[in-house]
Amino acid sequence: MIRTFLAIIIPVLIGTAALAAEDNKTRFPAPQTEAGRLTIYSTTDLAAMKPLIEDFQKASPDVAIDYIEYLTNELNALASEACRKEEPLGDLLLSSSVDQLLKLANDGCAEAHTSLETARVADWANWRDEVFGFTYEPAVFVYNTRLVPPAEVPRTHVELADLLRERLEYYRGRVGTYDIRLSGIGYLLAFNDARQTTTVFGRLLESMARASAVARCCTGEILEEVAKGNLYIGYNMLGSYAYEAALRHPDLRVVVPRDYTLVLSRGALIPKGAKGADLGARFLDYLLSERGQSIARTNAFYFTETGGLPPDVDGPQNLKESGIAQPIRIGPALLAVQDRAQRQRFIEDWSQSLIELNSPAWTRE
Amino acid sequence: MRPETGRNEPSLFARLARRISVVLGIGAALLVTAAWYYAETAANKAYDRLLVGAALQMAESLSVEDGTLTVRLPTSAFELLGLAERDRIFYRVIDTHGQTLTGYDDLQSPTPLDADNDVSSVEEGIYKGEPVRIARATRVLADPAVSGQAYVIVAQTNEARSALTRELTLRATILVFIMSLLAFVGAMFAIRYALQPVERLGAAVRRRDPHDLTPVSVDVPRELDPFVGSINHFMGRLNERVDLLQRFIADAAHQIRTPLTALSAQIDLLGADKLDKAGRQHYERVRERTGELARLTNQLLSHAMVIHRADSVQLEPISLVDVARRAYRAAIPVTVDPDIVISFEAPDDRPFVLGDAVSLREAIVNVIDNALRHGADQRLEVRVGANAEQAFVEVEDDGPGIPPEGWEKATQRFATSKSHEGSSGLGFAIAQEVASAHGGTLSFRARDERGFTVVLTLPLYKGDAR
Repeated sequence: MIRTFLAIIIPVLIGTAALAAEDNKTRFPAPQTEAGRLTIYSTTDLAAMKPLIEDFQKASPDVAIDYIEYLTNELNALASEACRKEEPLGDLLLSSSVDQLLKLANDGCAEAHTSLETARVADWANWRDEVFGFTYEPAVFVYNTRLVPPAEVPRTHVELADLLRERLEYYRGRVGTYDIRLSGIGYLLAFNDARQTTTVFGRLLESMARASAVARCCTGEILEEVAKGNLYIGYNMLGSYAYEAALRHPDLRVVVPRDYTLVLSRGALIPKGAKGADLGARFLDYLLSERGQSIARTNAFYFTETGGLPPDVDGPQNLKESGIAQPIRIGPALLAVQDRAQRQRFIEDWSQSLIELNSPAWTRE
Repeated sequence: MRPETGRNEPSLFARLARRISVVLGIGAALLVTAAWYYAETAANKAYDRLLVGAALQMAESLSVEDGTLTVRLPTSAFELLGLAERDRIFYRVIDTHGQTLTGYDDLQSPTPLDADNDVSSVEEGIYKGEPVRIARATRVLADPAVSGQAYVIVAQTNEARSALTRELTLRATILVFIMSLLAFVGAMFAIRYALQPVERLGAAVRRRDPHDLTPVSVDVPRELDPFVGSINHFMGRLNERVDLLQRFIADAAHQIRTPLTALSAQIDLLGADKLDKAGRQHYERVRERTGELARLTNQLLSHAMVIHRADSVQLEPISLVDVARRAYRAAIPVTVDPDIVISFEAPDDRPFVLGDAVSLREAIVNVIDNALRHGADQRLEVRVGANAEQAFVEVEDDGPGIPPEGWEKATQRFATSKSHEGSSGLGFAIAQEVASAHGGTLSFRARDERGFTVVLTLPLYKGDAR
């Protein structure tokens, strides 16, 4: 069953990816005479990466960059297919779905890279010098301040579950989260939620199902809806996107949950045999360097492992010191997340709970 | 004693050092190999347990739900395998029909799945071009809907194992190296120590006076006894030969002396006055040569005597002045040229030396005789003196003396500064022999305005003179 599912889904994904490729490709010509072309396949929004790419080109003005954006699952399907055919996909893969990158590395699709910069990466964010985590992004709640009264703002997972139960009618169809069938990152976060606390996650899932939670492919869509007021609360949003949206929409507010906060590190991987592996490594080094990290802090991802929370975020003073941060370790445990039987069953369970409910009226408009 | 011919032959030390280092080297290589083998076994065992544990956990997670076999892979199994931080993990779960339930479809167990298998046995294999260790676990299901055997195959790459093996081997190698080094240094010291008696024996033999042919008495280890025995045996035989030779010379000289005395008497009886001028000339020459021959014979006898006494006579404290005076009297013949002024000076404190009076007198006689015969023109002085350490007898004459370049030659036998005079030249040799037998020296003082001096120096006797 899983095979037929994959057999159908992969060509579809690749087909759509091929079509989408032109739309999702952004060219950054080299500021000076072009000496090399770096192709980055990424799941990160261009807006977040743009400051980093431009700053990188200040240091390496002879490098032209093609930045190609995909959804996590699409990227994963493309990359594993490319690895199987031994036609490496691009020179650097950036994905928020590190479990997928880890699976690629485990399958021998990654090139190891060590440098002074990679030596600074924390142990939990480096596997085999092949997969590196280069960001520190808490999974957060967002809410619309106009629509969620201050007294009702959920600050823990349990509070969110209770809120949905108590104010079921008010919040019906007004809570958004990832569609884990489409989003690798959604699946990764949900899986880790389930691992953290089986009971709380079960309750939360049940509450969200009853409240007809809306599942969407991407953080951006949900954030837009919350900003517009179509949705009131977004659950398990990536902190960086959420904060960026909050900066643009004064109604939007970010909550870092106080019981536990999953922390995701966006992963980077150099495909094995990549033509521009040296350029990929150079960009990776840049991402890990002080300079790259500081640009990321101010312009792209906002949260850091060591510093405090950005201003106007509802949460503990310092995520790491408060002890509630649960970084998703980049290691073999993620292989269990990526196991296809596991994934299939988890998604089936999740879908049964959540999706077989009526879509709210406003989504049909 | 150092054999010049043995230069190409390596020393005992070098031979032993070379062999010991070869043995130590081979031993170290064997130990390192063994250490590597054990390290690999240990590393494999350690990580194989994780592998087996993970396989068992995965097998345990199999269950039958709604009539189908399902697997909920426990994250902990992967975390367990993740303890080998850098290793890649491959797994495959096979259901009762032999279909892959999840994991890597092409992962194979090296032995057939249904073969009897001890769960803890881990096999070597290759997957995706990498050497891996493969464990498998079997789960027997007896559900009405699903019955039979399901299998879990788990494979892991070898990086952590190799790293641990390398680390353990490296540490063992360092230990083996240090141990070998200690053993080598220790062995070198031991060899040096063991060979010391050889050096000592060599030095003892080397230090020996050439005339000393008595047995060598150095404490040596048992192993060297035959060697010392051989040396002593050889010395004994050499000693006998030398004795024999000396006795022969003495006997010969003695035998010659009797007919020689008769010959001299006959020559005297012959009378010169009956001869014509040419005949007289021949007669004088014969007389002179006979005299020389007699003196040479006497000197040979004297020499043999001196050598004999040096070996056999116990030295005793004697007054050097007395000995010198006696020698002075004996050496100055009655027929001495009256033009030569001869004097003898001696201090009042009469220095004593440890010596053999007969030999010493013979030595001084010979020195004075030499001076009379070859040196003194108008003056000959014999002086006895002493300083804090030494006593000496000086014989000074106003003759031409011996130039410094001739000094060394003068003390050799049958050598003289004036070869045309046909001297026997044994005089200084005798004096020299006696001086060294007494621990003293015979030396010369270069000619100055007063004359040429021969000095016989002897160590002063410090004890009580009897």
